[in-house]
Amino acid sequence: MPNTTSLSTTLGRLTLKNPIMVASGTFGYAREMQEVVDVPRLGAVLPKTITAEPRVGNAPWRTVETSAGLLNAIGLDNDGVDAFLENHLPYLRSLGTSIVVSVAGRTTDEFVSLAERVGNEEGVSAIELNLSCPNVSGGIDFGTNANSCREVVQSTRDRCKVPVLAKLTPNVTRIAEIAQGAADGGADAVCLINTVLGMAIDWRRKKTMLGNGMGGLSGPAIKPIALRCVHQVASAVDIAIIGIGGIATIDDVMEFFVAGASAVQIGTANYYDPTVSTRLIDELPAALQEIEATSVAEVVRSLG
Amino acid sequence: MQPNMPSESHASKLHAAHYADRMKQIHTTVEQNELVGENTFRLRIAAKPIAAMVVPGQFVMIRLAGTNAPLIGRALAVYDVVRDANGEPTWIDLVYLRKGVMTRALSASALGTAITVWGPLGNGFNNESCDRLIMAVGGIGQTPMLTLGREAVGTETYGDPARANRWSENVELIYGARRKSLLAGVDDFRSAGFDVTLCTDDGSEGVKELVPNVLAARLAELPAGERVRVATCGPEIMMEKVAEVCKAADQSESEPSVTCDVSMETPMACGIGICFSCVAKIRQDGPEQWDYKRTCVEGPIFNAKDICW
Ligand SMILES: Cc1cc2nc3c(=O)[nH]c(=O)nc-3n(C[C@H](O)[C@H](O)[C@H](O)COP(=O)(O)OP(=O)(O)OC[C@H]3O[C@@H](n4cnc5c(N)ncnc54)[C@H](O)[C@@H]3O)c2cc1C
Ligand SMILES: Cc1cc2nc3c(=O)[nH]c(=O)nc-3n(C[C@H](O)[C@H](O)[C@H](O)COP(=O)(O)O)c2cc1C
Ligand code: FES
Repeated sequence: MPNTTSLSTTLGRLTLKNPIMVASGTFGYAREMQEVVDVPRLGAVLPKTITAEPRVGNAPWRTVETSAGLLNAIGLDNDGVDAFLENHLPYLRSLGTSIVVSVAGRTTDEFVSLAERVGNEEGVSAIELNLSCPNVSGGIDFGTNANSCREVVQSTRDRCKVPVLAKLTPNVTRIAEIAQGAADGGADAVCLINTVLGMAIDWRRKKTMLGNGMGGLSGPAIKPIALRCVHQVASAVDIAIIGIGGIATIDDVMEFFVAGASAVQIGTANYYDPTVSTRLIDELPAALQEIEATSVAEVVRSLG
Repeated sequence: MQPNMPSESHASKLHAAHYADRMKQIHTTVEQNELVGENTFRLRIAAKPIAAMVVPGQFVMIRLAGTNAPLIGRALAVYDVVRDANGEPTWIDLVYLRKGVMTRALSASALGTAITVWGPLGNGFNNESCDRLIMAVGGIGQTPMLTLGREAVGTETYGDPARANRWSENVELIYGARRKSLLAGVDDFRSAGFDVTLCTDDGSEGVKELVPNVLAARLAELPAGERVRVATCGPEIMMEKVAEVCKAADQSESEPSVTCDVSMETPMACGIGICFSCVAKIRQDGPEQWDYKRTCVEGPIFNAKDICW
């Protein structure tokens, strides 16, 4: 009886029709997926992170498979905010579902001006601040310091009329402190987690496998780390959480809800199971009913 | 017409101009998995929608279902389309070299093993007519060429709607490998009616020569004015040399006019344009300018003159 189960979920000022989103960088600009899944059904679509200027990205190899995981160093390959607004946003806007635009800056000012430009565009439901990309050197790592995290969130929030989500890196000692910074800055939610810093070596050539040397690990291998981060933040900070990391099955989704997430993002699984995202939406009502929940909210932070 | 050419509204230099606009994800099983050369296997799976739509040079992503080892799919070119008793394209055959994680797992898969595939992917070769098609391949690079040659000679059609076939008077295959035992499917190419020239590094079969050199000699024999299309697939270093040979022949007054299509095999993680792993340096806006293009959606077939090796 799916119609008696409510799939909608609330993240601060942002309400989504269902809690299944796709993760930035793992769904292209959505247009690539239009013949693959019924994109408008997704709770929200996140296009690939955009930056102020075009970035060509890192030299290949850009991804390497590891045990139950994928290491990547794409390097924020994107055409820049102008091209995004001109070429991608009109399509995204036409989808009729929530569009959360991921932005990355090197300075607070860059974050603010990106958020201001994008956040004031019609059809943008929220901004996700990518405070955590491990593949871009030169910038301040806003995601590793609670104060700079608070400051960048607050500055963007002041200048941007849509909800602001802060996507954090797990590559820190105390994730809850950083999340507290985001909460203090007024973030509507924190997104946990971005990739885990790692590397792969070809011992015969005595070279790293990734062109960039190090990269971010994603996929099922990092799910326990992501669950732990969600749990730690849920236990310590009063803020909505979006769970990300290795999610590929409905069991994974439910585990993240129990740990404290009010929504989830599907990342690497889109690569190896392209129709996974909408299938999880189909499977969600039955999973909720199995534990006699009538809404997602009833399950969130229910760890005993 | 190429299957993935962007429609007017998507035409731009942007990354998202191209996408997997006809791909289907299919859950199927191994129906045949036999050794056809040293460490080389031919895998048959039922995949009707893919078999019906695929054109030469396109590929599928393949994965063992229900396991995360390996996690990520692998790209394999469609080697053959097999029709059922009513003539409906029903199965696809893939030929793979046992090399690393996925191909080892595939080679150990019994009949009935559950497989997930998605495709057809990539742009594929075009079917522009020419006087002579020469397929210059090495290593496991023969795999996209059986369908291409058949379409060119006119014994098969591919795509839905079916593309025009019979677009080349003559079809030749120059196929090289390190040694005789690694040459796989030679009989398929011969019985398809192509002129086959084999070469090996150690001389154990055919001429003891490298593919680009065999091609250069062949082009030198052909009359000026003949329109030759070369299609190449194999190790990158070989393809780069093949491209050089084609360029030199094309610029020589006494030799035919030669264009060269290259099937790039950059490592892929999704095959559908969403991960930005599979990039190659492709020229744009002038000879010195390039951009990283995703080979899974904007390739894998590129005109050799656009590639920055
Ligand atoms: C469009 C396309 C079509 C293809 N068609 C075919 C085909 O028809 N038949 C076929 O056999 N193959 C084909 N391939 C190649 C295929 O996709 C696989 O790469 C190949 O089968 C090996 O996969 P594997 O899992 O067995 O090996 P893997 O375990 O992935 O390893 C393959 C090799 O790459 C090396 N390697 C892995 N990662 C890196 C890195 N980051 N840097 C340097 N080296 C690395 C490994 O050490 C190993 O030697 C195609 C590829 C593409 C892109
Ligand atoms: C190839 C690749 C590219 C990614 N690009 C981005 C990006 O541009 N912006 C971003 O915020 N996260 C990016 N991510 C991180 C994912 O959004 C996600 O946080 C991470 O992969 C963990 O989730 P998963 O295990 O489900 O993939 C990328 C991940 C991968 C694998
Ligand atoms: S393989 Fe993912 S974009 Fe090409």
